[in-house]
Amino acid sequence: MRMNGRNVFVIGTGLTKFGEFYDRDSTSLATEALNAAINDAKIDRSSIKSAYFGSMTSNSSPHSVFSSKCLRECNMSIPYTRVEAGNASGAAAFHQAYISLASGIYDCVAVIGSEKLSDFVKNGTIEKILGSTIDYQWEYEIGATLTSLYALITKAHMREFHTTMEQLASVPVKNHKNGKENPHAQFRREIPLDRFLSAKRISDPIGRFDLATHCDGSSALILVSEEYLERNSEIKNKIPILSSEHSTDVLALHHRESLTQIKSTVTAAKKAFAKVGIEPTDIAVAEVHDAFPISEILAIEDLGFFEKGEGGNATEAGLTQLNNKISINPSGGLKARGDPFGATGIAQIVEIVEQLRGRADKRQVSEIEYGLTHNIMGTGVLAYVNIFGQEEMKQ
Amino acid sequence: MEPPKIWREKRQKYLALGISCKKCGKRSFPLSEYCPYCGTNDVEEYRLAETGKILYFTNVSMTSDEMAFNAPYCLGIIELNDGIKVTGQIIDCDYKDLRKGMEVKMVFRILARDGHEGLIKYGFKFTSM
Repeated sequence: MRMNGRNVFVIGTGLTKFGEFYDRDSTSLATEALNAAINDAKIDRSSIKSAYFGSMTSNSSPHSVFSSKCLRECNMSIPYTRVEAGNASGAAAFHQAYISLASGIYDCVAVIGSEKLSDFVKNGTIEKILGSTIDYQWEYEIGATLTSLYALITKAHMREFHTTMEQLASVPVKNHKNGKENPHAQFRREIPLDRFLSAKRISDPIGRFDLATHCDGSSALILVSEEYLERNSEIKNKIPILSSEHSTDVLALHHRESLTQIKSTVTAAKKAFAKVGIEPTDIAVAEVHDAFPISEILAIEDLGFFEKGEGGNATEAGLTQLNNKISINPSGGLKARGDPFGATGIAQIVEIVEQLRGRADKRQVSEIEYGLTHNIMGTGVLAYVNIFGQEEMKQ
Repeated sequence: MEPPKIWREKRQKYLALGISCKKCGKRSFPLSEYCPYCGTNDVEEYRLAETGKILYFTNVSMTSDEMAFNAPYCLGIIELNDGIKVTGQIIDCDYKDLRKGMEVKMVFRILARDGHEGLIKYGFKFTSM
């Protein structure tokens, strides 16, 4: 018996530009991304038998309708599921789609992530939406926001490991440098270190420029089983999903023993590496959740790329820059690409798949064997880790 | 704000309640019907200690509309003297004067208000001793 289920592959990717699109709604963005993914896969859309949508809040209207409208506009009449896992909704939808193929229920499915956050122009609305990714009752309603909880985490890391403001700011500096080369990124310009350090603090020590922006965007993937590929041998550019794992931690920070480790990331990564039988050092390129500078530092430590406490040092020393020790967030990450919650987890996978296919242009990482994605909800109540390999590899 | 939710939660929010498990003897926060450590429902209400010390703290300037009247404000994780940890605002102080380990006591205050004529939500905050 195969304990891990059937082999699953990504054969098509689609991505809209991320940013503020006041003239477009969720349906329009999702339709563009899904059509792009179908065209990229070069398959007949009738072979897609189910769709998984990742979205936290879509439009300011009732939530699930854009999925149905998107499928209608794509001329597809198939069952769909909308998955919500806060700002990790995209990775959660991908994971469900992966399970549906690995289990043998479907042979070809679409995954679409979409979010339309520029509708929420009133002050405090996004803070309230993000309040549902943390303990709404005993953190958010007491006065905490997601940003303020990350401020507590940042201060804890600074206190415990002597991480400096310069080290923290070197995360978004690097990601904006990468984002400059990504045509889908919201911000395609470099921002100097001083700008991050001198910006107004919104929750000490987190400054105005440190957050990933909450924007609009959509991303899509076409996933198929190995059996589907055997029947359709003309399909090229297939990237195997070597593992797709998720894990959890308690919701509230005040219930955690340590603020400087995201336990869900550690356990999801351990499971993912064990399944593939590789070490963190085998990963050449990773897209990690950098909603705040400390998020990327915690991610590269908790995923095992660097020792605990060394993330700040490593980033400042340039070890996570393009084609250095490990290329972290070549797309520009959440910070430069922008963060439309449900679209983010899938956009990360799009980037890694394009990197493995060698189609990432000026941000191409050389000699990749394995690539990894990491998406979390809130302060890490859920973490999703996926590992992808080269075309000829199998699970 | 949602009146039924405020009504439902007012007792535990106003009194700062947790539970004490009669089976394993452990205390936990917040109020729940089952013990998160051993799973039994043989639990009784427990009122949290009213004093404690600051473990972590920051300040908040961008917040939801309902709490904006109060911003900027200080926020921290407090370890109460019974060992239970809670998140809370720290008031009547300057952010620059806060220190890790500073002793604080629980007070009853307005947490959020729905405009000038809407509902008011109350709960605990902390002030220095």
